[in-house]
Amino acid sequence: MTPASTLAAALETALELYLKQDPGALQQCAKMDGKVIAVDITGLGLSLYFIPGSDGIRVAGYYEGEPDTRLRGSPFGFARLALGSREQGELRSKRGRPGVDALFEGAVEIQGDTETGQQFQNILSGVDWDWEEQLSKLTGDVIAHQAGNLARKAARFANDSGNTLRRDVSEYLQEEARLLPARIEVGYFLEDVDQLRTDVDRMTARVDRLLQARDTKS
Amino acid sequence: MTNKTTHFGYEQVAWSDKQHRVGGVFDSVAGSYDLMNDVMSFGVHRLWKRFAVERSGVRRGQRVLDLAGGTGDLAERLSRLVGKDGEVVIGDINKAMLSVGRERLIDHGICDNVRYVQANAENLPFPENSFDCITIAFGLRNVTDKSRALESMYTVLKPGGRLLVLEFSKPVLPALKQAYDLYSFRVLPLMGRLIARDESSYRYLAESIRMHPDQKELKSLMEQAGFEDCEYFNLSGGIVALHRGYRY
Repeated sequence: MTPASTLAAALETALELYLKQDPGALQQCAKMDGKVIAVDITGLGLSLYFIPGSDGIRVAGYYEGEPDTRLRGSPFGFARLALGSREQGELRSKRGRPGVDALFEGAVEIQGDTETGQQFQNILSGVDWDWEEQLSKLTGDVIAHQAGNLARKAARFANDSGNTLRRDVSEYLQEEARLLPARIEVGYFLEDVDQLRTDVDRMTARVDRLLQARDTKS
Repeated sequence: MTNKTTHFGYEQVAWSDKQHRVGGVFDSVAGSYDLMNDVMSFGVHRLWKRFAVERSGVRRGQRVLDLAGGTGDLAERLSRLVGKDGEVVIGDINKAMLSVGRERLIDHGICDNVRYVQANAENLPFPENSFDCITIAFGLRNVTDKSRALESMYTVLKPGGRLLVLEFSKPVLPALKQAYDLYSFRVLPLMGRLIARDESSYRYLAESIRMHPDQKELKSLMEQAGFEDCEYFNLSGGIVALHRGYRY
């Protein structure tokens, strides 16, 4: 058995659990019945084949035919694609569409039927797994809710400290070490460059005019 | 022909008796076959079967024969691959196994592209050139005349079609072999007694595995039956092997 087959089996089971939670996603899968989407993970030399249908998504580690769509990228690229489109709603106003950015920036390459690829991405990123509900079946509501609160607090803390760290690092690099310019300095610098360019343009035009005047006199 | 004998596990029985004796074993284990498979192989049989289906290269619209298809494990995956335009025929010599499989697949909502045929692998009741692919998982070792069965499969396969045989084989690692012997002759019959309440049937399963041709022998049997480009893949250190051959 290849590692791809074993991974495919594990992924299929996870997807089965995942899709059971979301009848909408399952309907979308049914619409894509018969399509084959290949995912090539570069660096790991791994290819997985996803075959959606009315009862979920089958995953195979080996497929002999030609898939309808082929997505190729590094593990990091796929992470950006998946995470990006999940955050799409909240971030669209700030940064455009990050999930699609991953596609456009070449982090993930798409070949073949792009619409199928897009639909497939929507299914995977659209499912919001309610793990608190799943946990409550094992532990009861109270413990599951407390675990949920704890996880949310941890996520908030990680997010906050991540932001603080980012701010501190950029402050150090810009203000203390003076290794990088601040955004506003870059702005002024670019304005100066623009000013210089237009000045040079004007000077060129003036010199041209003077030369022309001298030529006509002589 | 009348004096000819064959093996039934480690026992020698009359050639004509084997089919009947094997039938008895599977009548007895049909009800708990799935559960036993999971317990005996620690669930790994699902990975072996998944690997076989992946290597079958089956595509939409094709016609597949799943021999010894018993409880429909392979057929479930295959039916999905061939889609509505294709067809999976489950063939099994044992009526009890076929009905367990049919119930199971119907419960899973798989009914529009699956047919059931009670058939002997040695004399397949299909016209020549009928199937794009034939699979037989954990069934060939129970067939009395393996060569004849392989020839019969060759005949009903379309040119370009392929045969996949998933079957227990010989472990290739010496250390694994000892642990495997202990497991199959001590633990397996005990589990058979506790779970299926049928020690002798599971003793037969363990013994029949040992009597089955190893990787190279089975490959040459396939070649003798006419299959070309034959190859095999050892799974779980050779405890199980997947053989693949083509008809051109």
